[in-house]
Amino acid sequence: MDDSTLQVYTILFVVITIVLVYTSRFFSARRMPRLSQGRVPGFKRLSGWVGEAIEAGRPLHLSFGSAGIDAESAPVAAAEAELFYHVIKAAGSGDVAPVISTSSAATIPLCQDTIRRAWAGDERRSRAQWFPQGPRSMAFAAGLTATMQVEDPSAHVLAGSFGPELALILDSAERQGQGSFAVSDQLEGGAIAFAMADEVLIGEQLFSAAAWLSHESTARADASVQDVWRGLLIALMAILVIIEVAGQLGIASWSLVLWAALALVVIGVVFVRRR
Amino acid sequence: MSRTQRLGIAFSAFIAFAVGVITTLSLLLGDRPELYAEFAGAPAFARLMSLPAAIMVRLVAITSAVTIVIGISNLLYVHLGRVVRGAFFSIVMIASFALTIWWYWSKGGDTSLLAAVQVPIESALAALLFLSMVQGGARVLNKRADIWGLLFVTVLVVVLLGTVPIESLGPVRAWSDWLMEIPVSAGARAILLGIALGTVVTGVRVLLGQDRSYRG
Repeated sequence: MDDSTLQVYTILFVVITIVLVYTSRFFSARRMPRLSQGRVPGFKRLSGWVGEAIEAGRPLHLSFGSAGIDAESAPVAAAEAELFYHVIKAAGSGDVAPVISTSSAATIPLCQDTIRRAWAGDERRSRAQWFPQGPRSMAFAAGLTATMQVEDPSAHVLAGSFGPELALILDSAERQGQGSFAVSDQLEGGAIAFAMADEVLIGEQLFSAAAWLSHESTARADASVQDVWRGLLIALMAILVIIEVAGQLGIASWSLVLWAALALVVIGVVFVRRR
Repeated sequence: MSRTQRLGIAFSAFIAFAVGVITTLSLLLGDRPELYAEFAGAPAFARLMSLPAAIMVRLVAITSAVTIVIGISNLLYVHLGRVVRGAFFSIVMIASFALTIWWYWSKGGDTSLLAAVQVPIESALAALLFLSMVQGGARVLNKRADIWGLLFVTVLVVVLLGTVPIESLGPVRAWSDWLMEIPVSAGARAILLGIALGTVVTGVRVLLGQDRSYRG
């Protein structure tokens, strides 16, 4: 595929996504029910940690990792700011403001803006904390573990861009008996989160997390656009596999592909209805 | 919310939308004269199309450099606040900061102090990281006593054994290679595809000025 064709497809993809976002928001304004947190155990537990933090008078610690608004991970930072907004809002009746940490200097204004919007109390300026990243993010992990002792948070929400340094942070949280909820856009960070965090999200759940915590229909509408694209992608891949297998077996025909696609759609609908 | 505030929100959303769309189009369509081959002066037009993206990328680079100053101010503000409360490590941090700045100025831009301290400490932390990861791997079944936890540990053990250079472990190495090439690779691609879709949807939300930061 040459560059020009690729660019046309890219523009088409973005335009279709814009149309889907607006369509989904239009229909979701009235009909879309609130997502049940029970379906993702991590969110249920997160709500519990928020309650514990309020009762114990301890802060929550939220971290963007190295997700920066001046880098490729800008959408990750934007999605996590939305998640953190809802977490801080839920912890709003507590006495101690949550701490937000980042290793990207460009994300500091986003941290402070998120606290300013969601937290009504005082003591907001010092709650956004920057730790220089260093060549391998180890300085960030070291700074963070020191802060974990000073601030003594009840739980950590580590959602953003983390690499292997996440292991040090989660290990420290475990030793201090603090809960941990982790998700990363990096594969190494995701694997470590799965192994070491109390609760974990994987892959695109990073971007739909706000939909599970929020009452806003727009967040759920945006999450449903992701579901539509994912469904289409899965269907397309499944059809391509069927065509390839049928071609290799010498039984390729359009009617077979049609029936197989129909069967996949029925299975998909049944699966979605059961969820 | 007052009318002025609402107008401000609408204005910032419009600015975000306009800059986002113009930069995206400029990145996609700029600096490609072959796209406008039918028109006279195609190279000049292609350069003109790429100009907004070039300006914005340069602005982002300058802004990123400025944010380092914000970062350092934030670091000092937070730790000076803790020094007042008598936090020992914050005192060490402030003293190290002052010493490093003094060293740099007095030695004519010498960064050897930074290299002599930071590099060994980061290397030591990297070694600690290995231990933390092994410990974490060992605790997986405590945290996730289900089929997925078991699968995770099994794959981990097979892949680790596959890297051991012992001849009798040849079949395990074959399994390890197969695991890495087929299921692990497929899973990693699936996760990356999901992240890419999420990135596009979030990017579109920001592009349309629908992000919370534009809502006042």
